[in-house]
Amino acid sequence: MKTLIAAAALAFASTAQAQNADAGAAEALMKKSGCFKCHSVSAKKDGPSYKSVAEKYKGKPDAEATLFKHLTTGPTVKIDGKEERHEIIKTKSEAEIKNVIAYILSR
Amino acid sequence: MIKQWWGNLRARCATCSRITLGLGVFVGALLIAGLLLTAGAAGLAWTNTEQFCIGCHEMRDNVYAEFKGTIHDVNRSGVRAICSNCHVPHEPWPLIKRKMRASFELWGHLMGVVDTKEKFEAHRYTLAKRVWTRMKETDSLECRNCHHADAMDPEKQSEKAKARHAKGKAEGLTCIDCHFGISHKEPDGPGPQELKLVKP
Repeated sequence: MKTLIAAAALAFASTAQAQNADAGAAEALMKKSGCFKCHSVSAKKDGPSYKSVAEKYKGKPDAEATLFKHLTTGPTVKIDGKEERHEIIKTKSEAEIKNVIAYILSR
Repeated sequence: MIKQWWGNLRARCATCSRITLGLGVFVGALLIAGLLLTAGAAGLAWTNTEQFCIGCHEMRDNVYAEFKGTIHDVNRSGVRAICSNCHVPHEPWPLIKRKMRASFELWGHLMGVVDTKEKFEAHRYTLAKRVWTRMKETDSLECRNCHHADAMDPEKQSEKAKARHAKGKAEGLTCIDCHFGISHKEPDGPGPQELKLVKP
C-alpha cells in the first residue's frame, strides 16, 4: 500500500512539474539544440513526436530520469533501420534540462 | 461607339490628318498603359514589404512576433527573409494569383476572424495547413526561390542532413514536409507529411 501511495505521489509530482514548465525557455533551448530537426510536438518527423513521448511516459515515475539520460548522454537511436547518435542537449544546467523534460512530458 | 468617339476626335481637330491623330491616340494609350503598369507594379511591390505585412495587428502580434529571432530573421550572414519571401511567389503569374487570393484575407480582417489571441490560436492549424498545402502543391516554390537543391553541396552538410536530404529525395518529399514550424509556432495537429496531397 505504501509503495502504491509513493508511486502515485511520484506520478502526481511529475505531472505537476510537467505542468509548470516554462514553455518559452524550453522551446528556445530545444531550438538551439536542434531538437526540432528530428522531433515535432505533434506531427510526423524522423523522431517520435513529443506528444507520443509524453503518452509513453505518462504516470511513469522514472520518466524524468530516463529522459534526462537520453538528452545528456547521446545514446544510439535507430532511424529508418540505421543507427545514429542522438544529439546531446546544448546546456550544462540541470534546471534547464529538467525544464525541457517537463515541457516534453506536458505535451 | 468607337466610331462615334473617333468622329468626335476628328471634328475637334479638323486640321489633323488621320495618321497624326492615330499616332496621337496610340502614344496616349501607351502612356496610360505604362502608367497603369507602373502603378500596379509599385502597388504589388508595396504589398510585399515587411511594413505592409505588419500593418495589421493580427500579423504583427502573432506570426511576426514569433518570426522575430528565428534563423530567417537574424543569422550570422545578415541575409533576411521577410514575410513575402516565404509567402509570396516571385514569378509574375503565381505572384498575381497569390495576391488575388490574399485579397480575401482583407475580408477576414474586416470581419475580425483572428483579431484576438484566442481566435488566432483557434485558427492556427487551419492557417498553417493552408500554407503547407500550397507549398506542397508548388514543391515549396517559395523555399526554392533562395534554396536551390542543385546548388547544395552535400559535402558541406552534416552526415545527418545528408542522409535526411537523400531520404527526402527518394521519398518524393518537398522542403516543407520536414522544415515546418521554423519561423512560427508549430500548430497542434498532423504535419505536412501527413497531409495526403497529389503533387503536380
